[in-house]
Amino acid sequence: MKNNCFKYMIAFAAMLFIAVPMWAQETTAVAAGDSGFFSRLFANTALIATAILTLAAVIAVSQLLNSVTKAQQIKIYREHGLESYLEEVKKEEGSAWQRFIQRWTKAVPVAKEQDVMLDHNYDGIRELDNSLPPWWTAMFYITIAFAAVYMTYYHFSGSGPSSIDEYEVQMAKGEEAKEKFLARQANKVDETNVVVMTDENDLALGKTIYDQNCLACHGAAGEGGIGPNMTDAYWIHGGDIKNLFVTIRDGVQGTNMIAWSTLLRPADIQRVGSYILTLQGTDPPNAKAPEGALYQPEAATEPAAEDTEN
Amino acid sequence: MAQVERFQYDNEIVRKFIIASVLFGIIGMLVGLLMALQFIWPELNFGIPYTTFGRIRPLHTNAVIFAFVGNGIFMGVYYSLPRLLKTPMWSKALSNIHFWGWQAIILAAAVTLPLGITSSHEYAELEWPIDIAIALVWIVFGINMFMTIIKRRETHLYVAIWFYIATWVTVTVLHVFHSIEVPVTLWKSYPVAAGVQDALIQWWYGHNAVAFFLTTPYLGLMYYFMPKAANRPVYSYKLSIIHFWALIFIYIWAGPHHLLYTSLPDWAQSLGTVFSIMLIAPSWGGMLNGLLTLRGAWDRVRQDPVLKFLVVAITAYGMATFEGPMLSIKSVNAISHYTDWTIGHVHVGALGWNGFLTFGIIYWLIPRMYRTQLYSTKLANAHFWIGTLGILFYAVPMYWAGWTQALMWKQFTPDGFLKYANFLETVTQLRWFYAARALGGLMFLSGVFVMAYNLIKTAKSGSFLGSEEAEAPAREVHASHKGEYWHKWIERKPVQMLVASLILILIGGMVQIFPMLLIDSNIPKIESVTPYTPLELEGRDIYIREGCVGCHSQMIRPFRSETERYGEYSKSGEFIYDRPFLWGSKRTGPDLHRQGGKYQDSWHYNHMLSPQAMSPASIMPAYPWLIDNVLNTAHTADKIKVLKMMGTPYPDGYEAIAVDDLQKQAAQIAQRLRKDGVVDDGLETREIVALIAYLQRLGADIKPKPQATTSDN
Repeated sequence: MKNNCFKYMIAFAAMLFIAVPMWAQETTAVAAGDSGFFSRLFANTALIATAILTLAAVIAVSQLLNSVTKAQQIKIYREHGLESYLEEVKKEEGSAWQRFIQRWTKAVPVAKEQDVMLDHNYDGIRELDNSLPPWWTAMFYITIAFAAVYMTYYHFSGSGPSSIDEYEVQMAKGEEAKEKFLARQANKVDETNVVVMTDENDLALGKTIYDQNCLACHGAAGEGGIGPNMTDAYWIHGGDIKNLFVTIRDGVQGTNMIAWSTLLRPADIQRVGSYILTLQGTDPPNAKAPEGALYQPEAATEPAAEDTEN
Repeated sequence: MAQVERFQYDNEIVRKFIIASVLFGIIGMLVGLLMALQFIWPELNFGIPYTTFGRIRPLHTNAVIFAFVGNGIFMGVYYSLPRLLKTPMWSKALSNIHFWGWQAIILAAAVTLPLGITSSHEYAELEWPIDIAIALVWIVFGINMFMTIIKRRETHLYVAIWFYIATWVTVTVLHVFHSIEVPVTLWKSYPVAAGVQDALIQWWYGHNAVAFFLTTPYLGLMYYFMPKAANRPVYSYKLSIIHFWALIFIYIWAGPHHLLYTSLPDWAQSLGTVFSIMLIAPSWGGMLNGLLTLRGAWDRVRQDPVLKFLVVAITAYGMATFEGPMLSIKSVNAISHYTDWTIGHVHVGALGWNGFLTFGIIYWLIPRMYRTQLYSTKLANAHFWIGTLGILFYAVPMYWAGWTQALMWKQFTPDGFLKYANFLETVTQLRWFYAARALGGLMFLSGVFVMAYNLIKTAKSGSFLGSEEAEAPAREVHASHKGEYWHKWIERKPVQMLVASLILILIGGMVQIFPMLLIDSNIPKIESVTPYTPLELEGRDIYIREGCVGCHSQMIRPFRSETERYGEYSKSGEFIYDRPFLWGSKRTGPDLHRQGGKYQDSWHYNHMLSPQAMSPASIMPAYPWLIDNVLNTAHTADKIKVLKMMGTPYPDGYEAIAVDDLQKQAAQIAQRLRKDGVVDDGLETREIVALIAYLQRLGADIKPKPQATTSDN
């Protein structure tokens, strides 16, 4: 009786602990920089408190039962004498750890295994009749209970989110985090205010971006390949930084030039665009023939090219 | 007491299976090592199709599962079954047909898989004629096993035999129902189920191939060889009963955990999750009974290499069967799936559990059958340590690589961009892990060579006992008596046990598969999804032949990190004409489901010719043969006919004009390629054109039109 009560309470507490992280199926929220743990802090605190209370209650009950047992032993001593008393006390021998292990495994010691030896003999293989280990049985019950709770929560209660619900929450959160971040950023770059960068670090970053993303089609030195030559003065979609910014960001339909807006942030498009403009007139070997129209820089763009970007 | 009868056990057949297991183990692991090295040096495919990763991946998995472990199962069964029943195997002829038939199947696999003949269903890649051969040989094995059981001298069946029976009946059901396919030619067939349904059936099979080919028969072997080697009684008979029945009933339900967050309906995914969780205890029942049987014999583990191997095997089993359910929790799976974590997980099972158990059993068997001592305990111990270290060197880098890559895939910058937008960055990051993994594999394999040497030396020092004399009294008619354990009844009734196992394992499969096949609402229709054109269909079959699915998934999960990277998440209605489904289970390269229209035709042409030219540092092999090979259109009409028969809505009589259509589309693609500077007279007849047609079609049916070039920043 006492054993069972203890067992199920521990099992319940354990289940709560297991259940919380399992219900939280939004791993990417953490990766997105918003800590899932803190947002669930309240729920976690409540659960931990419940678990501690449960544990305290279990200890109290177990202490109470212990003193009842002691009283019983004393009663036996009074009524039946010392020998019966010793017999009764002996049952409780062993360290607390040993008793704990015994309670959770119910294993018959090797020395006494003849008591549980079955009459089976298969090619010399014998079998013992040890009980199912209670910890194993408890684990089995917990997992079955988990299954019932899980299926109910997600499929019968109407409260568990579907995979697609989770996705939508994720997207909304991601969008919100992004908006919040961008709201704090000054100087949002777009085609109305983009200027050529001249800072060495920016251009170096621009070259890195170019090597990772553009080189395959436009060549290591901008000489062109699948895509057009970047070093001559001829441009299909315009040769100033504003046109370049739009071409990189939105891509060119019907060609291999994809819209890079999903891969490169505006500042990076500005950097790589600025780097590409530094290639003008370098005349690398194997240059592709000019495509598009000769681009004449307008006088007005020149002063604006002075970098004011931080 | 009945009169004592004399008979002989056949050790010859056991020895044959041992030799086959070790030999094919070495070959399978060598192929694995080659693949591991191709992750570092893709050019190690030697520039030919037959040794390219996509084609040898199924060769590796089939070799280790069906050749190494398969022969390992039969070795153990043919040794233990007669001894547990006190009778020889029923028919020596059937034993030999079984042996040679199985080796012929392995040979057929070793020839057809590198040739690109594959159904592309994982762990069932072999085409339909070989499927039929497998079924026949398996039935031969079943008849031989069952007749032996029926002719037994022992009244009751020992737990090992329960596992053998459940293995046999379940593998029969899985293999037969999974292999229902319609042949187009001798070496090409299409499965009857398409898309999501095909995926569910495949993973019902694939998951339970792990369960009933790699697990239950090996648990049976463990129940025989562990108590034998330790000379200790089995810890708990009750535990055997409960964990056996629970295991076979629950295992069969867990297949959908391979499809979490895919287009499979949520209810089926959830069943996969909860049954996987419930599987922990039944799986651990086997581990407990194995390890606790060693109580009182742990001191001998230090000296006896056999016990060492068995202990590590069972421990690896315990770890893998705990890890599996954890990976089935959706939040964990969201990280682990498609990464090397899965690869690490399966290798703990394969190298640790199956590998080490096989080695332990062989070390125990060979000296006994050769009536001598093991040639060198020192070498066996050396094998043990190098093997154990090999497992660690394999598994740890794979776990690390899996976590690294998963986190890189999911990492966003504060302004809402993927931090590693270029997929290749997440691959090149892993090269040292891949190198360490190859080293781990090499260590494990060296251990096997050490074992082979040790075994040959042992055999030479002894004399083989091909036919072992034994005696036992005839079986008595048994009447149940009062106070007898209830389970004893079924242990006397092999046929009832077979039927009970059959019923139990059918339930899970039926509850999951029938609703998927019969209830339309599980796969919402999408109007814009149309059948593949003949050229796309041929391209798809090339994709299947080259095993692209080994590295590229076609399943975008509903995660922000995936829709940002690849585009709209995949819908079940998009796959209704996909025979077979090609969702994949590992992303060594990026997902391709929304590949259609992303690049120009010429990009694909150049990329297949030299992936490194388009993506420097890519570890994809080049496919120059696609550019030279002429597309075979001899069977296009038959393919259309077969697909039409199964419900793909091609117009009536379309097969007659299919090749014309194919040529028209090929000409258009060839023209576009020429415009982009590809110089080749015969372009329109080449395989590459078909593959490009297929790749450009991928996911395009519901792909939103590219946005206009005006900004909305």
